[in-house]
Amino acid sequence: MRGEIRQIHPRKGGGSPGEPIPRRLAVIMAGDIAGYSRLMNIDEEGTHARLKRILREVVEPTIAEHHGRLVKTTGDGFIAIFDSPVEAVRCGIVIQQSMVGRNASVPAQQALLYRIGVNLGDVIVDSNEVFGDGVNIAVRLEGIATPGQVYISGGVYEQIKHKLVCGYQSLGDRQVKNITDPVRVYRVLPDPAAFMETQKRREIGFVVLASIVLLAIAGSLWYTMRPGRDLNVARSSAPAASAPETSRTTESAAAIAPSAAPAISPQGTSPASPQAGSFSPATPQGASPQPASPPSASPSVKEPEMAQLPGGSFSMGSNEDPSEKPVHQVAIKPFALSKFPVTVRQWNECAAANACEFTALGDENAPVTNVSWTDTKQYLGWLEQVTHKPYRLPSEAEWEYAARGGTQTKYWWGDQLQAGMANCKNCVAIASASADFPAKVGSFRPNPFGLYDMGGGVDQWVEDCWHRNYQGAPNDGSPWMDGDCVSHVIRSGSWKNDASYVRPANRDHYDTGVRYPTHGFRVALSP
Amino acid sequence: MKLVRLVMLGMVLAAASSYAAFAQGTPAPKDAALYFIWPLDGATLKGAFWCRFGLRNMGVTHAGDTFPNSGHHHLLIDVNEPIDSKEPIPQDKSHLHFGAGQTETRLELAPGKHTLQLVLGDAKHYPFNPPLISKKITITVK
Ligand SMILES: [Cu+2]
Repeated sequence: MRGEIRQIHPRKGGGSPGEPIPRRLAVIMAGDIAGYSRLMNIDEEGTHARLKRILREVVEPTIAEHHGRLVKTTGDGFIAIFDSPVEAVRCGIVIQQSMVGRNASVPAQQALLYRIGVNLGDVIVDSNEVFGDGVNIAVRLEGIATPGQVYISGGVYEQIKHKLVCGYQSLGDRQVKNITDPVRVYRVLPDPAAFMETQKRREIGFVVLASIVLLAIAGSLWYTMRPGRDLNVARSSAPAASAPETSRTTESAAAIAPSAAPAISPQGTSPASPQAGSFSPATPQGASPQPASPPSASPSVKEPEMAQLPGGSFSMGSNEDPSEKPVHQVAIKPFALSKFPVTVRQWNECAAANACEFTALGDENAPVTNVSWTDTKQYLGWLEQVTHKPYRLPSEAEWEYAARGGTQTKYWWGDQLQAGMANCKNCVAIASASADFPAKVGSFRPNPFGLYDMGGGVDQWVEDCWHRNYQGAPNDGSPWMDGDCVSHVIRSGSWKNDASYVRPANRDHYDTGVRYPTHGFRVALSP
Repeated sequence: MKLVRLVMLGMVLAAASSYAAFAQGTPAPKDAALYFIWPLDGATLKGAFWCRFGLRNMGVTHAGDTFPNSGHHHLLIDVNEPIDSKEPIPQDKSHLHFGAGQTETRLELAPGKHTLQLVLGDAKHYPFNPPLISKKITITVK
């Protein structure tokens, strides 16, 4: 099964003779499943399916998060390369820790346990293959590793010993086939305290085993008896309250466009009346011309109501938080932004078309929540397909420009917090607001650009990668994409955050692919 | 006697696991422990530093994954309010989520005294039952 990795291939296609072979130093990780053939004998299909899932859900994302590249997978194993030894070892630890969780739900004899070896060495990297002694040593380390553990070579150990707080246990020198010099081997103990634990392990093992068996029995019992196994909603939002609030669904069913009247009329100063943009109430006006043939896929889909924003220049940022500095001038081209965050009803049109992964719960006119940045791309792809318009997320600069609505004050209505202006934790107590869902979109006053809920309500994803401040930010309104894109920017703050999050300059971030119950988004369109 | 106790423990765990289907309160193993590998309680640090999370007898997984006995880390910075186990762990500048399975983070805090505390969250960011919370440590940034 593993033979194909062990042997050194001739380069595919040969290449032109005399062309230099690109060699480089890399950290190589080799992993394989202990006792794979035994597991395949017990349950070939099940084992194969489980392993594929683990590769997709654990191994691949973990390697990507640690800036590695999965070079190849074989029946039960994989080879990945990394630039950083620290990242590679950390990746190994995370894979092994994730597997502990996975294995907790299956009987011990069916547990899938990875053996992982990590080595630092000279390799030749092809598009989907990697060769050299460095690889052979990684595979050898993997071969001697105790299932569930990470073994590293002396070379890797030297690189990480002062950087990664782990326990390391030297296992002495090992001879590797076809390699002259012996290789020093270390076992990685992710938890330094694990050293002391080894003695107690046998005792604990029995408790764990007993609990696992009982858990498995209880789990399968529960699974078969579970009411309403609706798989479509399985990964969706609203953890505690799974039933939508029926009391509010009757209020306004027709359009998502609310009346201009805010839920609570503010006392004293009233904000400047909307003046910029076009505010045609009923017909959505896309900037780009309607295509000749109407969208055939889903003719009933209503396009989001958009506000046309004029171009302009504004001061982005503030001095209130280090992440908002330095204040810098940004030029914004004219664009359109949806007046409201995307609603549950809009999202569920996408879900009904099987283009969005889950069906959202809650009031139809509440903003959709529990969407990751990645999820928003599903919706946008679908919306573009049915409308033939390139809907997108706004850039962070566009979002702040839009939220300010032409003002430079702390909030768009001035420097003082006012009751009834936004849906946030301490802004005002709204009678209808529930803890689990935000208020319906448009429950508060629009800003001078005619935009609702730009601050409070739901956190809103924008296109940009997270950068911890504006040092080096673009000044042309484009999304800031370079850098480490494991985390994207969220704006607006949510109904669960306090008033400081309502400020248009406030910024925060969250892991790109992770869902959280206060996160939503709105859509933009270039003319 | 010992065996009886073990079976009882197993039954409690099993009961807890079926309960988890209907409400929050995903059960955590009794011997699970959440702690800071680094920094140490009372440490004085200069500028930015790495903060490393330790978890014993449970696995780290991604938010959204519902595998038993696994969760994701949350780091609470200067938080004084107690954790509400009936609510998702808040998401703001003092409640950091590590839903991609991270086991450490680089922190840059203003000079002065700060408290740090870890809370393990389940697939939907709720605390476990019983809550798996680290000791609250105090550090000083120079
Ligand atoms: Cu979380």
